[in-house]
Amino acid sequence: MHQFIFTGRQKSVLLGFMVLGLLCMGLTWAVDDPFHTRFWTNLLHNTVFFTGIAFIALFVYSAWMTAYAGWHTVVKRIFEGFSLYMVVGLVLMLIIAGGTWFHYHHLYHWAAEGIADPTSDHYDRILAGKSSFLNKSWYTFGSVGFLAVWTFFAFRIRSMSIAEDNAGTADYAHHQKLKRIVAIFLPIAAFTSAAAIWQWVMSIDAHWYSTMFAWYATASWFIAMMSLTILTVIFLKGKGYLEEVTGEHLHDLGKWLFAISIFWTYLWFSQFMLIWYANVGEETVYFQIRRDDYPVLFYGNLIINFVLPFLILMRNSTKRKYGTLVFMSVLLLFGHWVDFFLMIKPGALHTALEAMEHMGTAVGDAAAAHDHGHALAGDHGGHGAHHAIPPGFKMPGLLEIGTFLGFLASFLYFSLNQFTKASLISKNDPYLAESLHHHT
Amino acid sequence: MSAPVSKLREPLIMGSKTYHQITEDLVGPTEKAPNSAWIIAFILAVTFLSFGLFCIAWTIYVGIGSWDLNRTIGWGWDITNFVWWVGIGHAGTLISAILLLFRQKWRTGVNRAAEAMTIFAVMCAGLFPLIHMGRLWLAIFIFPYPNTRGPLWVNFNSPLLWDVFAISTYFTVSVLFWYTGLVPDFATVRDRAKGIRKNIYNALSFGWTGKAKHWQRWESLSLLLAGIATPLVLSVHTIVSFDFATSIIPGWHTTIFPPYFVAGAIFSGFAMVLTLMLIARKILGLEDYITVNHIESMNKVILLTGNIVGVAYLTELFISWYSQYTYEQFAFFNRATGVYWWSYFGMMTCNVLSPQIFWVKKYRRSVFVTFIMSIFINIGMWFERFVIIATTLARDYLPSSWSYYKPTWVEIGIYLGTFGLFFTCFLLFTRVAPVVAVAEVKSILKTSGDQYIGPDAKHGHEKAGTAAH
Repeated sequence: MHQFIFTGRQKSVLLGFMVLGLLCMGLTWAVDDPFHTRFWTNLLHNTVFFTGIAFIALFVYSAWMTAYAGWHTVVKRIFEGFSLYMVVGLVLMLIIAGGTWFHYHHLYHWAAEGIADPTSDHYDRILAGKSSFLNKSWYTFGSVGFLAVWTFFAFRIRSMSIAEDNAGTADYAHHQKLKRIVAIFLPIAAFTSAAAIWQWVMSIDAHWYSTMFAWYATASWFIAMMSLTILTVIFLKGKGYLEEVTGEHLHDLGKWLFAISIFWTYLWFSQFMLIWYANVGEETVYFQIRRDDYPVLFYGNLIINFVLPFLILMRNSTKRKYGTLVFMSVLLLFGHWVDFFLMIKPGALHTALEAMEHMGTAVGDAAAAHDHGHALAGDHGGHGAHHAIPPGFKMPGLLEIGTFLGFLASFLYFSLNQFTKASLISKNDPYLAESLHHHT
Repeated sequence: MSAPVSKLREPLIMGSKTYHQITEDLVGPTEKAPNSAWIIAFILAVTFLSFGLFCIAWTIYVGIGSWDLNRTIGWGWDITNFVWWVGIGHAGTLISAILLLFRQKWRTGVNRAAEAMTIFAVMCAGLFPLIHMGRLWLAIFIFPYPNTRGPLWVNFNSPLLWDVFAISTYFTVSVLFWYTGLVPDFATVRDRAKGIRKNIYNALSFGWTGKAKHWQRWESLSLLLAGIATPLVLSVHTIVSFDFATSIIPGWHTTIFPPYFVAGAIFSGFAMVLTLMLIARKILGLEDYITVNHIESMNKVILLTGNIVGVAYLTELFISWYSQYTYEQFAFFNRATGVYWWSYFGMMTCNVLSPQIFWVKKYRRSVFVTFIMSIFINIGMWFERFVIIATTLARDYLPSSWSYYKPTWVEIGIYLGTFGLFFTCFLLFTRVAPVVAVAEVKSILKTSGDQYIGPDAKHGHEKAGTAAH
């Protein structure tokens, strides 16, 4: 069976989860603080996470094609399906970028009014210095512009790949053309993704900086994408599709999952160790907040994303069995979602609380914001004080999980829908025979 | 039936070789008297080596004052050279270990020489921290052993000490890996040899007879060593980068250093492999085994790592501004426009701009362009380390101690001496062992020989890829 049929039941299950996600988001909005920080951080978190998965799917697809990989040909349609989700990401990022203009949210400290104006109450010397990069126009351009370019490549590559199915020739003209496109995409993606991550995620902790950050976040996306790929492959195999995908392919996918989990740990450790060792206050504050105020997630992040895959995926057999692969993939998908949670939530919360307090003290009639800000900030509010952490920030709450499931369902709905549009096993790919006879 | 091979894959062994011809071609050079090119090269290498030894002796006799190091510039050419050589030492293990795990068949053409190069490069690198101690006889103090020194221990908190462990471990595993690969080849040499030569190679090959059990154990040992060596490739240059990045010196303390150093190391390592192999392939007539396809693959790795390094340079540059940390901003401003601007310019040109030429297939496949580029990259990567070390140290926090550094003849002499050591070892290696891994090349003949795949394939292989199912 090469033609995927998206059954009504699958659709309604996924739609059900999407509705659940929407409900959770609505509920979050309702129980939220006046700035709706929880709602907006959840939206940003999931948008970045799933858009990133789509982006990295295209990046890995391009990298493997450029490297003459071959073996993955039988699963390449999965990556293609994933990559097109960037279109949804584009819309969502447009909303978030729009939010910086219309003050829907206070996710980013640098987006505050008058941040670069020495006469303003909001003036911040460091952020003023960064304001030629950290500003609304760049953010909008970066988010929308970069995503638009990536999406363009995703659609171009996808249509070329389908064209190869339908009209592939013996001289592999489609493949040769495709190789050119992906080769152009690779450096563009490498440079722009770093800038996108700085804007979307790193600039939440607006004063903080780390040169490693972009690669670190990219590695996190990569693992999440591989987990989702393995889960999708096993799901499709369970439905009788992808018979050509054997234990050999799963073994190699499992190896990737293992390898990049170690690589992610390497980046995590390098970033953490260098900042810890040098002990410069401006840098250590990032980890100090996370270690002291979010200890469960901080250490849990390492246990889920390093210790477990290291121990469990080390053995050959665990990379070939459905049970362990599914277990690890679910764990790592969630684990890296938590990793992004930990990148985004603490900084955004800090910004929002400070803004609320500021608004409370500066503008008398914003009494609600004032009260709420102080209530959240605890008794000893004020700059630099430890704030009590409201629900949905310290740990992913039920609403966060619901939102995550909603996003995941939308991602899968979108991808499965793409799978219906072409054969699940591509035709006329020059490496198809190799992939069909793949032996690790 | 062997596994199908895509029509897009080019052959890796040219000239319709038989197994016997492969043995003849690759073992042959070790059985003949060296040609005049080899002799001239060897004399040159030994001359450089002797001069280097003289300069080392001079340093030890006169003291470290014979170098131009000063108050702020405590690291000059010595550590620049150290990092440069260690970096070069990365390609061998990358090719043998990581590319083995990635099942890259083209590695078989170059892995032997690259591994040898790794070992020699690490030897050259190891010299510098030792000489830099000035009082070489105190080198024993870098080893933490239970001793009569009382409470005096090495500083376990120091990345410099981690380096001692990292590099010695790396050296050990690289030697083991290299030697493991050599065992079956030494047996092949032995089987063709007579007299004392036969006895020597018999001992070297540990009595290898090529039994199935031998091969089985050899295969699993290779995989195990590859598994161990893979994290080692990353760890060595990571720890070298820690030497800088754990400090609070602007321009050194940056979190991207570990992966960026590793990428840079692979970049320079491949450049050096190309420099060496392009010469070796010409002199030893190995064009059928180190084909243009091999060269193109290596150039792609160079293009990739060059761009990774490029992303890292620009990240550093951008984040130094973004940090809004005055000293960090100055450090990078100073790199680009300060007294050592020429080395920053050299680094950017050679490492980031020039490799872009390899986007063009024609240049990737040109032996001449590749050779020039490999030299360029070797220079560029040397400049990178010089930029990081000298430029930064010449302009520290206190303007009153700003200074300028240029090497003395002794420092230059020691650097030239390491070239002597490197080439002496490499030239000797080409005489005693097959420069291309005989057994491994044979293992890919059926899937990559030009009589089996590619446009000139004589054997009717199935039309891979077009197979509709």
